[in-house]
Amino acid sequence: MKIRSIITGLALLPALLSQAHAQCKELTVGSAISLTGKYATDGTHSKNGYDYAVEKIREAGGVRIGGQCYNFRVIYYDDESKGDRGATLAERLINQDKVQYMLGPYSSGMVKAIAPVTEKYRIPMVEAEGASRSLFNKGYKYLFAVLSTSEQYLASAITLAAEKARETGKQPSSVKVAIAVENDPFSLDIRAGVLEDAAKFGMKVVVDEKLPRDLSDMSAILTKVKVHRPDVLIVSGHSKGAATAVRQIGEQKINTPMIALTHCEVADVVGKFGDAANGILCSTQWAETLSYSDPIFGSASEYERGFKKAYPDYANKSVPYQTAQASAAVYVLKDAFERANSLDKEKLRDAIAETDLSTFYGQIRFSENGNNIAKPMVMRQIQNGKYNVVAPSEFASHKLDWPRTPR
Amino acid sequence: MSGARKSAGMPIEARRIALYLVLIALMLAAPFLFPGFRTQLAALWLMIVVALAWDMTGGQMGYNSLGNVFFYGTGMYVAAVITIALAYDVGEYTSAAGGGIHAFTDAQYFAGMALGIIGAGVFCAVCALLIGYITFGLRGPYFAIGTLGVAIAAGELVSNWEWVGGGQGISLPVYPGDLETGKVVFYFLFAAAGIALFVLLRWLYTTRFGAAMNAVRDDEEKAEAMGLHTLRYKLAAWSIAAFFVGAAGAISAFQLIHFEPLETAYQTINLGIFMVVCVLLGGKGTLWGPVVGAVLFHVFKEVTWNYLLGWQWVALGALIVVTVVYFQEGVMGYLMRRKPEWFGIRVGREAE
Repeated sequence: MKIRSIITGLALLPALLSQAHAQCKELTVGSAISLTGKYATDGTHSKNGYDYAVEKIREAGGVRIGGQCYNFRVIYYDDESKGDRGATLAERLINQDKVQYMLGPYSSGMVKAIAPVTEKYRIPMVEAEGASRSLFNKGYKYLFAVLSTSEQYLASAITLAAEKARETGKQPSSVKVAIAVENDPFSLDIRAGVLEDAAKFGMKVVVDEKLPRDLSDMSAILTKVKVHRPDVLIVSGHSKGAATAVRQIGEQKINTPMIALTHCEVADVVGKFGDAANGILCSTQWAETLSYSDPIFGSASEYERGFKKAYPDYANKSVPYQTAQASAAVYVLKDAFERANSLDKEKLRDAIAETDLSTFYGQIRFSENGNNIAKPMVMRQIQNGKYNVVAPSEFASHKLDWPRTPR
Repeated sequence: MSGARKSAGMPIEARRIALYLVLIALMLAAPFLFPGFRTQLAALWLMIVVALAWDMTGGQMGYNSLGNVFFYGTGMYVAAVITIALAYDVGEYTSAAGGGIHAFTDAQYFAGMALGIIGAGVFCAVCALLIGYITFGLRGPYFAIGTLGVAIAAGELVSNWEWVGGGQGISLPVYPGDLETGKVVFYFLFAAAGIALFVLLRWLYTTRFGAAMNAVRDDEEKAEAMGLHTLRYKLAAWSIAAFFVGAAGAISAFQLIHFEPLETAYQTINLGIFMVVCVLLGGKGTLWGPVVGAVLFHVFKEVTWNYLLGWQWVALGALIVVTVVYFQEGVMGYLMRRKPEWFGIRVGREAE
């Protein structure tokens, strides 16, 4: 009996061994991401995007490098939404966890703090959540961003305001603009972009304020907005800033005809504030209605459905673009690893630089500074609780509702 | 009597020289003995510099500044601005809108570093004279709060000053050479600042200037009445401290590469408090106290940050409470009381 079982065991051994051989190896990637602090909401959406992509790539057979298959494993640390903490954790990932490849943190400010570290250690980092143009003028060679840069977020709001002025028989230069932004690289670049565009039309900026550091109260700024009666109100402060803005715009009954925000979806302003969010313009890097697709995630809408199935928490809200672009960043890594056909970080870096990839998130191709130059931004308006694309015209599915009618 | 003192003093002097030699050897060898901890060792020297500098006014003169971190942050910014200005237009380099690629040659980097560190020190020393002229009229807690206010206000001002990048902070170029060499370079820069300050203070505290500093602490009115121009001593001491803190800030700026105004440069709640805790822990108003305190504090901090992550702030708070409530004299104060003979102080029969 005993001998027989040993013999069967021995007979099974080669089969077991070959099965073990067919299993994929682990490919470790590191990321410091905000799970607490002011970017906790945004950071969590990004992390979910990374995790979903890791799972989808595993299902699709993993990453094939030199005939061997690999599955991504991401080591996360919570950077507490603090730059110096992020930089320390990046050092920890590289020195203690021996991570050779990184996924980015959340927000331009955090990327700004971490990019010098990855650059110093020559660790390629694909980031999905740092859009400020000031990240891409330092000559960093190991930093790549899949998203469009900040100035493109709200530029179309200014163009729309100019169009509406013309339609109503006024000069675009008569348009008054109010700006309230967070004091961080991302929002300051949003501001810079809006100022550039407003200057092009000769518009007057009547309010130009910074949101307080914790982003929890902008009532004083809104009082000023009430006094100056601008035609456009621009607010940018990541998800916490967006939530504060919509809540207080509702409370203080701000009836500016055009209000444009960033980060509406990620802050779930419709779910949280309902009618107060109606008519607000929201810039987005990606929308599930767009016609992009790829073999791993399918089309943009298939991505949305698949993600909602994997993360039921999102069932009743739209999947934020922060999640989609995080998934796209993992996809860029997979694609680059397979083209490099090597685990060497320098070869990987060169392969990432040559990326030209069609994804469910849009086309990804990097400039020599590392930012994605192949994908446009779109502008959506919240119409009856739905996010409908209203600009630019080639993607628009709905007409702009103007002046804004909060119900 | 003098002969007796000499014979009793010699071995202490010899032991002291031996101790210094051992410490210098350790200092030189440390980054090579513990190559995995070069950054942490450099940070240790930073703590020693800021603690020694804080003790000059806090311990020796009785002026507890909570605003010394102002010099740290200002040093960082001065060094960054000098380095960038050598190669580019600062406003254009820091613009939130980006544009162009700003690369630095090795020569620009090292010239910026040398000028930046010295420039930061000098600028901060001048700042100390100006701020001190106003704030040294305040005493006790008012001086502490006044200087804290200066540091907080400076952080807020800089975070809204677009020319230096405002709230987005400022990025210096990455160290151009080999990474490990860079770490050693930063270690020795901090160490050099620490040793220079220590040697300076060791001499200064034995001079008439040092006696005047203590006189200000012990009874400022009496010192004034005896003809000491106390404001001059206070200003001179604080501006020396500011020079070193500013220079240390400048070195930090190059080491950290990217920093932002409120949480890194003018970090009133972290470094601004840590430097005081170091001194309290080691022993206020002693030469070695700040050094011992900085070492103990830094080791404590690194250990809790590594092994008690999540509870590190609680552990740190507990340390501060215990130090302030039960251990005000600090390590050096305790040793001086319990083992005076170690310090060449002989009491009772031995002194005969």
